Amino acid sequence: MPYSNFTLEEVLATFQLEIVESIGIFSDIEPVAPSAVLVAELEKKVPVAAAINTEKARSELIVANVLFELLEQFDRRISFFSGIDFNVDVESGLTGVCDFLVSLSPVQSFLEAPVIILVEAKKEDPAPGLGQCVAEMIAAQRFNAQKNNNIACIYGAATTGTEWKFLRLKENRLSIDITVYQITQCGKILGILSSMVNQTA
Amino acid sequence: MAYSNFTLSEVKKTFQIIEAAEAVNLFSHVEPKVPSSVLTAVLERNMQVALAVNTEKAKSELIIANVLIELREQFDRRISVFSGIDFNIDAEAGLTGTCDFLVSLSPARFALEAPVIILVEAKKDDLTVGLGQCAAEMIAAQRFNKENGNDIPCIYGATTSGTEWLFLKLESQNLHIDTEFYPIHACDKILGILASMIEQTA
Repeated sequence: MPYSNFTLEEVLATFQLEIVESIGIFSDIEPVAPSAVLVAELEKKVPVAAAINTEKARSELIVANVLFELLEQFDRRISFFSGIDFNVDVESGLTGVCDFLVSLSPVQSFLEAPVIILVEAKKEDPAPGLGQCVAEMIAAQRFNAQKNNNIACIYGAATTGTEWKFLRLKENRLSIDITVYQITQCGKILGILSSMVNQTA
Repeated sequence: MAYSNFTLSEVKKTFQIIEAAEAVNLFSHVEPKVPSSVLTAVLERNMQVALAVNTEKAKSELIIANVLIELREQFDRRISVFSGIDFNIDAEAGLTGTCDFLVSLSPARFALEAPVIILVEAKKDDLTVGLGQCAAEMIAAQRFNKENGNDIPCIYGATTSGTEWLFLKLESQNLHIDTEFYPIHACDKILGILASMIEQTA
């Protein structure tokens, strides 16, 4: 059972998570202004991604650009991975490929702990990606613990590129922000991602 | 059978394709095209990470998609770029599946319209692995264009790891595979070749 098979319901039951859903969990976070390059890139790419409307196009033309900007904003003191295998616990079904993954380590040639943000890309609606994303977050929690790199919170995002939903996992308490953040509020999305890296979200 | 199942020799056998025997540098005469400062900056920024992560997905996102969007910009958005769409043309012949990237001469963005002109297959490392798949997609494009009453003489292709590009040309039954591998450092040459494909002068 890989990550992609988990629904939100299943992941909650399997790993005995306590769920908190509320509006605007991350809405008070200060926005971070996007660079001129990102603004220019998104202006060109977002309409194309929305028209093509495949998960691949949305990942290439929006999500990867936003996450790369995050890397730049932290002067590459963090690392960004795309499409890598993240096999943590076969018995629990915590195996598979992660769409995007951010680690606090600057090492880019292989994945080093601590893994901090897991991002699942979806074609139309971010919500179906939530179960998969949470399963990956649990795997990250275990991966970090195994590497003696215990950090308090793991974060996640399920996104179509144009719409973003954010999550936080602290021990077995999962918080889901009901708010859907739009790519038109790119500064807000970058602010939330930055605060996740800073572990203040 | 789908595009991804085809080896080059299977494509040749199945569709009676003749591979041009003479070793020629197909695109040596093509004029380079200067990349925009944004593309240069983006590639410089992305390259190291794309190489380190080294997945087909990362290379597609961090390099290839940017080159193709630049091509669209250089043609003032009069062409269209598609990524990861289904391109099912002839199930019996095995011409079905998803194409990594596809460029059409039509500006329509929401649905693929003929004529399809360039098919790009992304590979993690080995470009020759993608040749059969790319050639099969080019044959499908030939049929698609014809069915839509949009017969153009040549269909082009590329297999690429992002950092290296290998180009193909299909003219009726004749398939030409370039002898040169272009590195992304020669981005101006790669853009020039892609542009000449759009202009159908390649």
